[in-house]
Amino acid sequence: MVVKVLCDTIQRSKKVTMSETAVLSIDGVSKSFGGIHAIQNITFGVRAGEVLGLMGPNGAGKTTLLNLIAGVYRPDSGRILFEGRDITRYPPHKICHLGIARTYQIPQPFTSLLVQDNLMVAAKYGNKRGDTLELDEILDLVDLLKQKDTIAGDLATVSLKRLELARALASNPTLILLDEVAAGSTEAELPRILDITKQVRKMGKTIILVEHVMKVMVEAVDRIIVIDKGEKIAEGTPGEVMEDEKVLAAYFG
Amino acid sequence: MVVRDKMKLLRLTTLVSVAVLVVLALFPLIGIPLSWLNYLFSFFIYLALANMWNLLAGYTGLICLCPAAFVGLAGYTMAIGTHVGVPFQVGLIAGAAVAALFALIISYPVFRMKGIYFAIGTLVLPEALKAWFNFWRPVGNEYQGMGAGYSVVGVAGITLGEKYWLALAIAAASIFVVHIILRARLGLGLTAIRDNENTAASSGVNIFRLKLSSFLIAAFIMGLAGAAYYIHVPSIQPKGGFNISWLLLPLMATVIGGEGSEEGPIIGAAIVTFLRFLLADYGAWSLFIQGIILVVVVVVMPQGIAGLLRRVGAYRFPQKLFQAAEGKIHKT
Repeated sequence: MVVKVLCDTIQRSKKVTMSETAVLSIDGVSKSFGGIHAIQNITFGVRAGEVLGLMGPNGAGKTTLLNLIAGVYRPDSGRILFEGRDITRYPPHKICHLGIARTYQIPQPFTSLLVQDNLMVAAKYGNKRGDTLELDEILDLVDLLKQKDTIAGDLATVSLKRLELARALASNPTLILLDEVAAGSTEAELPRILDITKQVRKMGKTIILVEHVMKVMVEAVDRIIVIDKGEKIAEGTPGEVMEDEKVLAAYFG
Repeated sequence: MVVRDKMKLLRLTTLVSVAVLVVLALFPLIGIPLSWLNYLFSFFIYLALANMWNLLAGYTGLICLCPAAFVGLAGYTMAIGTHVGVPFQVGLIAGAAVAALFALIISYPVFRMKGIYFAIGTLVLPEALKAWFNFWRPVGNEYQGMGAGYSVVGVAGITLGEKYWLALAIAAASIFVVHIILRARLGLGLTAIRDNENTAASSGVNIFRLKLSSFLIAAFIMGLAGAAYYIHVPSIQPKGGFNISWLLLPLMATVIGGEGSEEGPIIGAAIVTFLRFLLADYGAWSLFIQGIILVVVVVVMPQGIAGLLRRVGAYRFPQKLFQAAEGKIHKT
């Protein structure tokens, strides 16, 4: 009897730690191209349901880091774990099947396909975890429902940015990597982008957000990781990070 | 409602295609001049090749420059087979299978190359095979002291009508296969790969597997078309079997007709066949004229004739006609 109670307690505590541990953990990951150390020994975790901001000056290695997670590049050393599984050497399509979707900084749509078919590719090939999704709902969320029968190549840049997000959502991911969704938007469009980000979060998705627009960064994220020259230089809440000396030095010299 | 209209239109299109197929199939029975059957035979072979080339270049983004390898291998397999007692009917299928097997073997190295590198990588394959078959002679006596040519044994008794039907069946199959693929999940994936390989991969598309599917299908049907040609012209040499014209014909047909459209290769293959027989007596000039036509098409209408027709709205009238006909059918 006592043993059973003990076992239960242990199991319960295990469950608790499980939910607190990271969905995604980056464990000492490095990547160099030729002689350039793009990413050097970076370690951090992403908790379930949080929005993690990834910040850094131009060329700091933010996009490279996303590419490492998404399987476009393989790290030279270190491990990447997603939901406890080692995905370090997985190809991009398998990583998508496991539940990581990404958007591109410069939109990369399927230009000859209709907007809704762009989503259909991700829904039919990327969603391997049950749950059929209402693609119209996703299109509605990003304000593209009216343009669903437009050829993606004919969309304006702002709409293409949203199509990136919609396509990422269409593969029904648990973790979304957003590479500068707000970049290039006008001041007036920012509240809507923030709103969309919040809605995505409400859907229970975990988000890694790379962003230059400070307003989005400060308002949307729980935690920020700052990298500079491929190394992690700070980690904390937006408030903490903004006052960090290393961060100020990286940005203002 | 709109969906149902589309369905109806689709059914009527199917009806018309079947009718055309039946009429074409009747040609040998109603005493069409043999020379016509001959032209149409070539047209069907070119059409099958062009359709498959379009599947690769137009829908998968693979600029495959080695159709000659598939044609030559299939032709040689069938020809050599007839020397060891394999009936040509079996040889036809076996040849296509060997072409597909060859595609499978080369897929791993060539798919590692993208775009123009893939094109160059595939371009050298027929040349390599040509050199190989110049020296390799598995059965029969030495041919002018080396490997080289084989005749196809036991096909003398086949009438032109029968060969015509075979080519017609292969061409129809190639159209049908592309039609089905484009409407299935595979077509969506292939188009995604053609548009943007990186996005396709990050959206969960297994690029290698999809490219391989389309490559194998194309190799098999190109092999069928090639072997069927060598039933008609019953002898094969390395120079002919692996000739670059096996690439130029489908390439020209697809580009002139309209790459990435279903009707493009049909229009293109008709033009290429017509030109080929029209210019047959002019030797080298024929290539020169075909080259000029190709350049003009690429410059004036990059989407080919099909693209031009679509742009000027030439499909609207037949579509309306179809719809009107459907309305009448519906009423009665």
